[in-house]
Amino acid sequence: MTAAECEHQQRLSSEPRAGDDVWIPSACALCYGSCSIQVHRVNGVAIKIEGNPESAVGKGRLCAKGVSGLMVHYDPNRLTKPLRRTNPVKEIGVDPGWKEISWEEALTEIVGHLKRIRAEDPRKLVIQRTTTVTANKNPFQAFAFGFGTPNLSVAGGGLHCGNGAHLISGIMHASWGILPDFQYCNYAMYFGASKGHSAGHASTSNMGMAADARARGMKLVVFDPMCNFAAAKATEWVPLRVGTDAAAALAIGNVIANDLGAIDAPYLKGKTNGPYLIGPDGRYVRDKDGKPLVWDLMAGAARPFDGAAADDMALEGSFEVDGVTCRPSFALLKEHLRQYTPEWAEKITTIPAANLRRIAEEFAREARIGSTIVIEGVTLPYRPVAAIAFRGNQGHRNSVYNFLAVDLLNHLVGAADVVGSCLGFPPVVDGHPDSGRPHYVPVATPDGLMEVGQWMGWHHPYPVEDPKLPKTLGLQGLFPMGMVSPFLDAPDREHWWERFGIEYRPEMLINFGANLLMSIANKDTMAASLAKYEFIVSIDLFLTETSDFVDIVLPDCSYLQSVDSRSNFPTIFSHPAGMGDWSWPIRQPVLPPDGEQRRFADVLLELAERTGFLPDMIAAFNAILELEPPYRLDGGRRYTYEEICDAELKHNFGPERGLEWFRENGVIRWKKKPQEVYWRPFLDVRVPIYWEWMPDIGEKAAALADPRGLEMPLEYYRPLPDWLPCHSHEVEKPGFDFFAFYYRDTLHTNSYTMENAWLDEAAQLDPFSYNVAINAEVARARGLANGDLVEIESDTGRKITGRLRLTECIHPEGLGIAALANHWAKGLPTAMGKGVFFNDLLELDWKRTSPVNLNLDLCVKVKVTRAAE
Amino acid sequence: MSGQRYQQLLADLRADYRPQREWGEGRGVLLVVGHFLVGIAGGTWLLSWWFGITAGLMTAVLLGGLGGLGHLAFLGRPERAFKMVRHWRTSWISRGFVGLTLFLAGGCLHLAFELAAPGGLAALIAGLAALAGTLTIIGYMGFTYTASKGVPFWNSPLHPVLYIAYAVRGGVAMLLVLAAFGHASGAALMPLWLVVTGLVALLFALELQGAAAGSDVAARRSVHDILAGRLAAIFYGGTLAIGLGVPLALGAAGGNYPVIMALVGLTSAAGDFFMKLSTVRAGVYRPLIVPRQRHRG
Amino acid sequence: MRLGMVIDLRRCIGCYGCQLSCKAEHGTPPGVFFARVLKSEEGRYPTVRHLFLPVLCNHCDDAPCVEVCPTEASHYAEHGIVDIDQDKCVGCRACMMACPYGNRYFNGERRDYYPGAGPTVYETARTLRHPEGVVMKCNFCRDRLAEGKLPACVANCASTARYFGDLDDPNSQVSTLIKERGGFTLHPEAGTGPNVYYLPP
Ligand SMILES: Nc1nc2c(c(=O)[nH]1)N[C@H]1C(S)=C(S)[C@@H](COP(=O)(O)OP(=O)(O)OC[C@H]3O[C@@H](n4cnc5c(=O)[nH]c(N)nc54)[C@H](O)[C@@H]3O)O[C@H]1N2
Ligand SMILES: Nc1nc2c(c(=O)[nH]1)N[C@H]1C(S)=C(S)[C@@H](COP(=O)(O)OP(=O)(O)OC[C@H]3O[C@@H](n4cnc5c(=O)[nH]c(N)nc54)[C@H](O)[C@@H]3O)O[C@H]1N2
Ligand code: SF4
Ligand code: SF4
Ligand code: SF4
Ligand code: SF4
Ligand code: SF4
Ligand SMILES: [Mo]
Repeated sequence: MTAAECEHQQRLSSEPRAGDDVWIPSACALCYGSCSIQVHRVNGVAIKIEGNPESAVGKGRLCAKGVSGLMVHYDPNRLTKPLRRTNPVKEIGVDPGWKEISWEEALTEIVGHLKRIRAEDPRKLVIQRTTTVTANKNPFQAFAFGFGTPNLSVAGGGLHCGNGAHLISGIMHASWGILPDFQYCNYAMYFGASKGHSAGHASTSNMGMAADARARGMKLVVFDPMCNFAAAKATEWVPLRVGTDAAAALAIGNVIANDLGAIDAPYLKGKTNGPYLIGPDGRYVRDKDGKPLVWDLMAGAARPFDGAAADDMALEGSFEVDGVTCRPSFALLKEHLRQYTPEWAEKITTIPAANLRRIAEEFAREARIGSTIVIEGVTLPYRPVAAIAFRGNQGHRNSVYNFLAVDLLNHLVGAADVVGSCLGFPPVVDGHPDSGRPHYVPVATPDGLMEVGQWMGWHHPYPVEDPKLPKTLGLQGLFPMGMVSPFLDAPDREHWWERFGIEYRPEMLINFGANLLMSIANKDTMAASLAKYEFIVSIDLFLTETSDFVDIVLPDCSYLQSVDSRSNFPTIFSHPAGMGDWSWPIRQPVLPPDGEQRRFADVLLELAERTGFLPDMIAAFNAILELEPPYRLDGGRRYTYEEICDAELKHNFGPERGLEWFRENGVIRWKKKPQEVYWRPFLDVRVPIYWEWMPDIGEKAAALADPRGLEMPLEYYRPLPDWLPCHSHEVEKPGFDFFAFYYRDTLHTNSYTMENAWLDEAAQLDPFSYNVAINAEVARARGLANGDLVEIESDTGRKITGRLRLTECIHPEGLGIAALANHWAKGLPTAMGKGVFFNDLLELDWKRTSPVNLNLDLCVKVKVTRAAE
Repeated sequence: MSGQRYQQLLADLRADYRPQREWGEGRGVLLVVGHFLVGIAGGTWLLSWWFGITAGLMTAVLLGGLGGLGHLAFLGRPERAFKMVRHWRTSWISRGFVGLTLFLAGGCLHLAFELAAPGGLAALIAGLAALAGTLTIIGYMGFTYTASKGVPFWNSPLHPVLYIAYAVRGGVAMLLVLAAFGHASGAALMPLWLVVTGLVALLFALELQGAAAGSDVAARRSVHDILAGRLAAIFYGGTLAIGLGVPLALGAAGGNYPVIMALVGLTSAAGDFFMKLSTVRAGVYRPLIVPRQRHRG
Repeated sequence: MRLGMVIDLRRCIGCYGCQLSCKAEHGTPPGVFFARVLKSEEGRYPTVRHLFLPVLCNHCDDAPCVEVCPTEASHYAEHGIVDIDQDKCVGCRACMMACPYGNRYFNGERRDYYPGAGPTVYETARTLRHPEGVVMKCNFCRDRLAEGKLPACVANCASTARYFGDLDDPNSQVSTLIKERGGFTLHPEAGTGPNVYYLPP
């Protein structure tokens, strides 16, 4: 099919008929939640978006952003024509001199670059995509695989959503993230997460479930420097110093394990590596077949972990195996925790020791270790407590320990993927009753530890590969527990590329949406990085700050003009957990493209065809979508994206349920089974409470990194978590006495929605959205008042300005800033000048990067002074 | 979205105390002008009727007409003004509209009949109708504010009395102006002006005091806005200096000179205008959340 | 039948879903919010509570806005709904001054959300329906009720913090909630008899 035909078809499939009055089911894309929507179209104009009650994704309700989507769609600043820059100077705020060009011209020029690069070294192509449109993952991944570049990244660089959360949730819960089992949980602790309070995954569905839990009497204890969203609804807000979550969690763990002895021994024995024997080298003691050993108390001897009854395994004590003294890993954990007294934690976190103790006691008591409950006729373990974390907790250099220390609390009391406990986003799906698809379950690796059955990222979280000399621009090879990387844009990247022998340099960038200039770090560093590219293509809805660095801008279709068989990433991404229904919704066009807008997925297919790697891209689609005959795509054919979506749907749900069926129905749903939701007792997989592989990974990484001048701090690579300070905790400059931190505004998605006039208006009315939250008493003591314009200076001398909002709802040392704001792009007139640009304070450097998962630290030590009006 | 009024609206919606801005600002000034003119008209008619000053009656009708136009011009949909007769049973605005119509019609007819056949019954009936209209219009304004439950500052029962007193003071002021042109005798007017002014000042002070000492935070805020906030300039400069200080000084200097009488009348009236403007603008909506008291120390 | 709403402040998370879903339902002009969410704080750090208060027209039994309206534009419609007949309204704004809850808006000059570009296709279809020079406010989504739907802000509240029903029926969900949870109204001292109740946080 030619481009023109393809465009024609796009138009036809969404062409509104005169006098029409229809509700069309589809999917939101104002954030990655992808809630199911229905759009009311009258006489060709979309006049209302509502939730689709037929779907579990959103459950018929939408957040403030979701209901405001039409303002994005109909924004007169939307791009409608391909643009080419005429001004070669790429600098912040310098007008690129846009000139409208035809698609033919644009594609020809892009294909010219793609062909040359693919012939030279395909890795010179970098692809960046926003997280906001979840459905972009598969087309871009297929494109990148097909083209042959591993340099595919999501926006945020080192600031990606869950650098710690995703991989650790993957290792410990086979999931993309964790949350309480709202339906049964009685006591939840949140560490820097807002789940159920208008951000995060499955945001809208969780709002309802969290409210039900509140009504039911679930206690919620929120550790957060700010009493913003979850904390506002909590039974107890526990303010803490930014970035010190691990200290609090370790102290709670200490009280639980040592003072109270409130552990779920059968769980630890049967479902974790707690009984695995650890030798003096910190590694598993293995039998001659390489199987980790446990101590069988009945036999009084060591046995392979799968050769003894779990009940008989020792969790504590010291044993001799073949002359080696060894101890169960749980014993090591318990002993390790002993150093973290609540008094010690109080100094670090500012949380009174007595409170930590009390909370630990409450958590342990509420866990009801040993109890069971019957759900739909199935008897299941009942542990109605959960310790949860997300962006705020692990958005620090100590990302891994901060998150792991929290999750370990669940595992101590056996509150993992059983009734009432900490749940993963659904990692076990038996499939639709008719087709048995989708179907995936976590499986056991030879060591007995769990490997996920389904995953969104490049590599499974576990087993962890060995570090190797990196081949990608983000140096990810060195960091097998990382995903996205700040090295892609860091000011010293050239140095490291050289040191690590990266033999190519980035030349071309394809950017999908991501507003790199605002979402990753300070704008100057990002500008310098982007200015280095020879050629940048951006597929976007608007001319953003990032567009100033782009050579060709392609006008995308909005979510109301697009199609996708996986609007979200069924089902482990933004699907609600807990009992209820499974839903697989789609996105379909409600409106035709405006002007010359084209759907990005079809543009990618077109580019692949013209460049000459379409068969590779199709093959990649087959692999990613796991398509099997008769729905396997034929590498020799040119497909439209709709056809690919059709194939995937038929493959999953049978020939009668292709795109046509889904267009009519919007979503397919079926009931969840208790065995899927509360899968832990049913699967013979274990999770590591002792990260045995860590020192090894650290040493191997260090062996590669240290000689090249990248110092690998091994204290981050221990098998058991610790609290390590962020850079901000070590700044001693006088006058720098606030920890500035970032949080998500309920009205905005990152930097994107500021241009949405309805949301912007509402945010202007909100006391916090566009202001800097500061503790009222502290501010007054310095003569600062509500509405004062202040300058916020980082310890490295970067400055931003903002207006103060005095509040009792924030830690005295905290400075809370919402959203990625204060746009300056002319293409975003509504957004321009609103709010505070927190990220301009951030450095993109190794000192502030997690040496394990490459997460960039979000807390900055700052000085606050009144600024001239 | 930009635009000053819009920005103001958003700022107001954000504020702890949201000022009303529909009456008294922008085109809303026309309403205050309307009230002001109609008030003077009523007072002038009353006094002129009492003293039998035909020029005063004519002036009153003229001012009433202008005031009516001010009201109309303020309305979002002036072409529908006739619909305002509908709800006289409960609405003071409706009553005011009926009253003003009665006053204007009665006043015009009265003057016409008087011109044609002085002292006739028709003129008397028309005059009485106008008088009824007068009483309604000088009463309606205060009650309109008092009935505004959204703005506690205006809820005081003194408000209607105050507006009636204003009307009288306006009437005296107008007669002073007319006296300067020889249409009335100034001798009795200056003392009357002093008495009425004293009454107005007392009532106003009582009203402010009542609001300031009362428990309603919005009313207190209004008082604050008048005495020390956004309306202080209008209040001190307009109401006190122009409306009280200047006429007092002038009167003391030589109350019987025609020019001075006229000036006293005009400044006194101007003061009333500023007084109305400041009390109308000082209206602050009842907050839905009582703002936190600032913690000290 | 007397229609009323109950807003459970324990369930409400201040997400603004009601404020924006109302805007989406009615396509109100800039600066007009039939539904709003207010935020406040109670207490002092660290024993402080962050409170959310969603507000809308209370559809009062003794509505001062109706009382002061000279034209009968503001009136009691079916089941106690207080609505404005915009064909009758003269735009005198007395009702705005009379409402103790600040829930009325004057639609003065036309405003567009994207100034300079004129009204969008959406605004032309939806926002420009609202006549200028008159007052507007929440009407409990009468059009939706007529179609058998719940008001937009109720149907959409993701936390299910809003309930709607017949306050005259002692067994309705709204009546039961008010009874069991100690429902209260705003500014009871104003004597307006609001039909929007709140359940304590
Ligand atoms: N300080 C700090 N910074 C952070 C974070 C933090 O916690 N703190 N969080 C980080 C995280 S978790 C993330 S995910 C990133 C997000 O960073 P980004 O992915 O850059 O997210 P947005 O800022 O929302 O930018 C979305 C862009 O996508 C475009 N867009 C939206 N819809 C479409 C579409 O349909 N098609 C196309 N072509 N474009 C579209 C919009 O124009 C907008 O420019 O930010 C990170 N930055
Ligand atoms: N409304 C809305 N929803 C969104 C988004 C959005 O931008 N807006 N973005 C989407 C995306 S891309 C993501 S990744 C998710 C993220 O969703 P969340 O994880 O909820 O993200 P945040 O609000 O950044 O962080 C959560 C909390 O961490 C707190 N916090 C900050 N620093 C610390 C700390 O050091 N310790 C502790 N304990 N708390 C801390 C913040 O105050 C905040 O309350 O939300 C998604 N959903
Ligand atoms: S949570 Fe995200 S996907 Fe869902 S309605 Fe809100 S913006 Fe849309
Ligand atoms: S939509 Fe519901 S939860 Fe959100 S602010 Fe409104 S009432 Fe509260
Ligand atoms: S809340 Fe205000 S507008 Fe609504 S009925 Fe009551 S007084 Fe009238
Ligand atoms: S503005 Fe309209 S609705 Fe309000 S009181 Fe006047 S006529 Fe009635
Ligand atoms: S009932 Fe309807 S009009 Fe009233 S606030 Fe809710 S959505 Fe808006
Ligand atoms: Mo994210």
